[in-house]
Amino acid sequence: MKTRNLSALLITAGLLAGAPAVAADLDAEMISNTCAGCHGTDGASVGQAPVIAGMNEMYLMQTMQNYKDGLRYGTIMERIARGYDKGQIMDMSKHYAGQPWVNAEQEVDSALAAKGKQLHMAKGCVGCHGANGISPIPTTPRLAGQYADYMVITMQQYQNPKVAIPPVAMPMRGMLAGMSEEDLKALAHFYASQK
Amino acid sequence: MSINRREFVKALGTATAVSAVGFPFIVQAGTKAKVVVIGAGYGGGTAAKYLRKYSPDIDVTLIEKDKHFYSCPFSNEVISGERSLDSIRFGFDGLAGHGVKVVTDMVTDIDAAKKTVKTQGGKSFKYDYLVVSPGVSFKPGGIEGYDEAAMEKMPHAWKAGPQTALLRKQLESMKDGGVVMIAAPPNPFRCPPGPYERAAQVAHYLSHHKPKSKVIIMDAKDKFSKQGLFTAGYNKFYKGMIEWRSAANDGRVLGVDAKTGTVMTEFDEHTPDVANIIPPQRAAAIAVNAGLTNDSGWCPVDQRTFESTQHKDVYVIGDASIAGKMPKSGYSANSQGKVAAAAIAAQVTGVKMPEPSYVNTCYSLITPDYGISVAMVYRLQNGQIVGVKGAGGLSPMKASEDTREAEALYARSWFYNIIADIYG
Repeated sequence: MKTRNLSALLITAGLLAGAPAVAADLDAEMISNTCAGCHGTDGASVGQAPVIAGMNEMYLMQTMQNYKDGLRYGTIMERIARGYDKGQIMDMSKHYAGQPWVNAEQEVDSALAAKGKQLHMAKGCVGCHGANGISPIPTTPRLAGQYADYMVITMQQYQNPKVAIPPVAMPMRGMLAGMSEEDLKALAHFYASQK
Repeated sequence: MSINRREFVKALGTATAVSAVGFPFIVQAGTKAKVVVIGAGYGGGTAAKYLRKYSPDIDVTLIEKDKHFYSCPFSNEVISGERSLDSIRFGFDGLAGHGVKVVTDMVTDIDAAKKTVKTQGGKSFKYDYLVVSPGVSFKPGGIEGYDEAAMEKMPHAWKAGPQTALLRKQLESMKDGGVVMIAAPPNPFRCPPGPYERAAQVAHYLSHHKPKSKVIIMDAKDKFSKQGLFTAGYNKFYKGMIEWRSAANDGRVLGVDAKTGTVMTEFDEHTPDVANIIPPQRAAAIAVNAGLTNDSGWCPVDQRTFESTQHKDVYVIGDASIAGKMPKSGYSANSQGKVAAAAIAAQVTGVKMPEPSYVNTCYSLITPDYGISVAMVYRLQNGQIVGVKGAGGLSPMKASEDTREAEALYARSWFYNIIADIYG
């Protein structure tokens, strides 16, 4: 874990300088740990709120900014994001991007996941989200091992023409149009099944 | 994970800066700073864990009177029968795994001059820093006649555990057509939306099992948390079942007679089938006895660090503290525990205390699939914790059904995550 390694290094540094006591990077921890109540310690969510640990830094930054600017639907995140300034958003994005990704622990329906894989290929999701939901594009979130419920909720909102959608995700509105809830669940279960 | 160059440089910089000033208050090699934490709830559990996370060179002893902690958040779902009492009960093995020394005992005395706490079990603990997170107690004489014996007849269920189970049992044995009376306390108190979520949860149970019954909220206030959202929710799901009486409408409960089951207000007497009396509150007894409270009954603190303004090196967090605009909630206590832990870790290690940042989110469930929330991000301004301008607020009044359902899902997600953040 990052904190431990940092501490170990600090101990070494401390011994060199003759200082015994050490601490984590308190500035980064202070701002980032406000997220942990909902997104899990170090961003490794154990509920249906999305895992943010190890997510692309650019994506995290852009997403917070989109929430702030009303360019993305969130049940609560617009209200939360408006509480942080640009510097704080950069700090927390960097912090969470530096944490190890932890796959969501959830039951995956393999039949649904198989159907989802077909949709993923046929509908062109693979273009941005990669073969298995891991993308090299810095503004594209990792979907492999993410919470299925969260992904379904997000896709449903992206489908809804009355709801704000991040500019970068705009193509998804057309791609998801006409897909049933069953289809969205299938896609979500495919991504959830990937590690 | 390896650490990056910036952090490495920063780390070295810290160590050098420390040596340059000659370690003002730094633990000597081989001796760790001793921190004692009183209370293993949302505040104390968080502080203990995060002190260890922030510096392995802090020796943390957590003293808690019970072997387990029962969470007040989500205890209303035990009352409605949606979840078991076991599902809100948590042990401290996870904290022990982080190197926290967990002691099951009750602190009976805090000697701030000698920096020592004493316990009922006859033990004595010395500390360099003390974190006090004891929660609330009921104001003596707050409701006439509401003594220990009365609590067994008319449960408060405002500290989760056996009281929660008792209220649930009373609802189960109540006849269809019965009246449940919930007495809501005056401000400030633990969990401002709690009594109103409870009314919804009780109504949820009654509407399915005893539909001729009623819930009456007797209030010591004329308005309450998330009032618009709760009222709309009551009307949508429990029309005619929940009645709210404001203080101005003789809603304030002044006394009870447990023997006859009577609830008394200024002008009236009621004999409900189930009486849930949530009394007026102040900081827990240990905080009062240790001289940590002021005339308000709560503990004034430096809101940057949560250090008591009345006793040096004693930090008060959670419901017992006066934390500016933050409500007395589980998430507030969790957030405050992290700020206090950072303040102590900064002092111990001789680094600068970071600018504090605090947060609160309170979800309430109107039904198991219909959630509402209030949230705020806080910062320090002129020594006071205030909400960040433009941030936070309530779930929209006009949100879609999908949004309410998602909020219910995220409410449960919050519970799992915050519990893991404290005890995991």
